[in-house]
Amino acid sequence: MKNNNRKKQKHYGDVRPKNYRAIYEEKFYDILFQLRYPLMTVIFFTTIGVLALMIINGKSDGTSVLNYFFHTVITFSTVGYTEGYDVDPQHLMMNRFFATIFIIISIPFVYMYGLVTTVNVFINSNIAEIYNYWRMYKAMEQLRGHYIICRFNGITRELMKNLKRRGIKFVLVEPDPSLEQDIKDFGVDFYVIDEPHKRSVLLGVGIEHAKGLVTAFEDNTQDLSVIVTARLIRPDKEHFMVFATATTEGAAEKMKLLGANEVIVPDVSVGRRMTSFILHPPSPVLSGFLEKIAYGERTDIDIMEIRIDSNSDLVGKKLKDIRMRQETGATIVAIIRADGKMKIAPSGETEIKEGDSLIVLGHPKALKRVEEFFESHQIENEEEVART
Amino acid sequence: MINWGKVWSDFFIFLALTSNVGFIFSHDPYQLVIAIGVNLLATVLKFGAKKILAAELLATALVADLHLIPATILYFMETHVPLAIGLAIGAAVANVISIVMLVIEIIFEYQKEEEL
Repeated sequence: MKNNNRKKQKHYGDVRPKNYRAIYEEKFYDILFQLRYPLMTVIFFTTIGVLALMIINGKSDGTSVLNYFFHTVITFSTVGYTEGYDVDPQHLMMNRFFATIFIIISIPFVYMYGLVTTVNVFINSNIAEIYNYWRMYKAMEQLRGHYIICRFNGITRELMKNLKRRGIKFVLVEPDPSLEQDIKDFGVDFYVIDEPHKRSVLLGVGIEHAKGLVTAFEDNTQDLSVIVTARLIRPDKEHFMVFATATTEGAAEKMKLLGANEVIVPDVSVGRRMTSFILHPPSPVLSGFLEKIAYGERTDIDIMEIRIDSNSDLVGKKLKDIRMRQETGATIVAIIRADGKMKIAPSGETEIKEGDSLIVLGHPKALKRVEEFFESHQIENEEEVART
Repeated sequence: MINWGKVWSDFFIFLALTSNVGFIFSHDPYQLVIAIGVNLLATVLKFGAKKILAAELLATALVADLHLIPATILYFMETHVPLAIGLAIGAAVANVISIVMLVIEIIFEYQKEEEL
């Protein structure tokens, strides 16, 4: 259960992850590139203007230079005062003559080209949008224990809706750029528009820190390539789950052999559900109750399975003695013995045996406590083994 | 074939250093105005350049500017003129580093062309 001793493994090929944040950082840089020439004209004409006024007036003290700087800027910004300083009468003519020529030359260049282009670049370059992408990908880099979902369709929509309700983080990878608006409207927190069968993409969305991957393409070949790519990077089936959909049972079998933990064939699943409706006609109260629990539609109740192995110190104890319900608030509703026999609603006198599966029902928070409860009984035992 | 875009940008990078050094020795206000203008131009020219050392080149240019702008203010306020000169020397050092990196850049690009 614990994965704290898992070391960072070098994955095959050693591909560099695609850095989605850097792509948008580069776009900011591109905006700067567009500002190059407009800003250069502004700086160039400011320098020329100040220098010329210094030479014409023959003054280079601080106050004068500041005045000339001011004069230059008000000239090409078309604010237009007269000289904001006292001009020596002998330099007045030359000063005004230069100012006239300077206005004629600098206004088209600096005002029309330099300043207008700068404003234009800022208006047209969607800085806000670039910033939003950048912020999303910066936050995506921090994700740990998330799920990667490939393909935006009906199946993954339902999946994402339920994960969101449970507060589980996920990253959506969708190869079709035309679906981006739909994805945004659906309110996906993290998504990339890219091919999920590429190693760089999977590494870029943080597969090394992810808990699992779901691939639900309409096409088996795409699912297969995603499963294989993901499995090559994260070979450990226990710490990295891969779930997929397939169109046929044969494809599902192949996917399982190639590394998927579970594969669902939508047609077969729906057909089976239909059969169950016919065999057990739905009642208005009970209909779908267990289904809702099993499919996580209810957030206030959940069901889980706890396996009892030989390391547990609970083996041989009676249910009433382990005081699980008092400590965690969850209830054991059934016990499945190692031989497959099921004991529904076990009494307090029921004994826990090695190889049992306990089916526990309760609030998700209570189930978290159940997990910790059984883990604590496990660890003590392991430590004892280590000591002896 | 000579790359005129490169002549243009390299011209300003070299001019930034020479005008800067010129001010350090002449202590002349005209030279200072030219130096700061050229340094700002050299900085803006480095915007958006996708070279190997682009970030480092932009950083040195910004360092030079941040030395020269306070130097200009101090010099024209006539308060701490020696400090202004000192800052200008600092800007000159940044400009020298900028040119060293420009040379490294040229060598890298030359090698890339060879490989093709």
